[in-house]
Amino acid sequence: MKIKVTTKILDANDRIAEENRKIFEEAGVYVVNLMSSPGAGKTSLLEKTIESIKDKVKVGVIEGDITGTNDAERIDKLGVPVVQINTEGACHLDANMIAEAAKELPLKDLDILFIENVGNLVCPAEFKVGEDIKVMVLSLTEGDDKPLKYPLMFQESSVLLINKIDLKDLLDVSIEKIKKDAQFLNPKIKIFEISCKTGQGIEEWTNWLLTNIS
Amino acid sequence: MHEASIANELLSLAIKECKNNGYNRIESIKINVGRATGIMTDALLFAFNVLKEGSIADKAILIIEEIPVSGICKDCGNRFESNENYLIFECPNCGSFSTELVSGKELNITEMEVSDENQSYHKDT
Repeated sequence: MKIKVTTKILDANDRIAEENRKIFEEAGVYVVNLMSSPGAGKTSLLEKTIESIKDKVKVGVIEGDITGTNDAERIDKLGVPVVQINTEGACHLDANMIAEAAKELPLKDLDILFIENVGNLVCPAEFKVGEDIKVMVLSLTEGDDKPLKYPLMFQESSVLLINKIDLKDLLDVSIEKIKKDAQFLNPKIKIFEISCKTGQGIEEWTNWLLTNIS
Repeated sequence: MHEASIANELLSLAIKECKNNGYNRIESIKINVGRATGIMTDALLFAFNVLKEGSIADKAILIIEEIPVSGICKDCGNRFESNENYLIFECPNCGSFSTELVSGKELNITEMEVSDENQSYHKDT
C-alpha cells in the first residue's frame, strides 16, 4: 500500500526555533541574534546600544559563551535582565538553549531581546534560534577579506555593523571593500559604520533599530 | 549539516503518518533532497539505518531523490542548473551572487509504502 505525502522535514533545531518564534511573538518581544568573531565588539555594542535605548524600550539579554559570566556581569551593571548560557564547548547557540534561557526572562515585560551568540563567524549563521533578525558585527582589525571568506554569515545577516572605525587610519583595511563584498553577497544588507569606543555611528544604528521594532 | 537530527525527524514523521493511516509497518520512505540544502545523503542514510532499529520502520528502505539546484541570475538573467552540491549561489555566467533559487532547497517526504503486519500474516497462511 502506497501513501502519497508531502511533508516538509525540518531538522529538530528549526522546529524548536519556530516554537521559540511563536513564544516571542505572543509576548510581543523583538529578538535580535547578534553574531561576530570573538573580540569584534558584541558586548561593547550591547553596552552602547542599551545605554542609548533603555529609557525608550525595555531590554533583555541572553549571553552565550563557552564558559564564564564576564559578559553577563557587564550587562547586569546596566540594570537590564540578563541570562548567561554556558555552552560548555559548543561553538554556537541553538534553539533549545534559547528555549530554556528564555524561561528565565520576563518576556512579556520586554520590548526587545538581544541574544549575544558565541564568538564565531561560521556555525552561528547555520542555526536559527527564533530571532526576528540576525545582526553581525565585523571589526576593522579582522581585515577586509572576511565577507568573501565567510559568505554565509553575511548572507544570513540583515544588518552589518562595521566596528572600530576609529582605527581606520592605523590599518591597511578598506571599508569600501568590506561594504562592496558584503553587498555583493547580500544586496539587501543594511550597513552602519560604528565605533563603540568613541560612540560614532551608534545613534544611527539605534534609531534604525527603534524604527524597526515599533 | 546535522544529518542525524534530520534522520530522526523524518523517521518520527513517517511513523506518525503510517499510524494515522491505520498501518503498522513501514516498507519504504521516499524523500526529496535538494542539492542546496548542504545535506550529505550518505550521512543521512547512515543515520536513518541506525535510528530505525527497533521501530516499526526497522526494515524500511530510504529512497533519496536528489533535486538539482536551479536558479535565475537577477543581474544577467541567466538561467542555470547544477547537479553539484551548491552552497554559495553564484551565477556561473557572470559571477553575480544576486541570484534567485528556483529549486535545490527541498527536504520533503514524498511517498511511503506501508503495510499491516496482521493482514500479511493472514495472506501467508
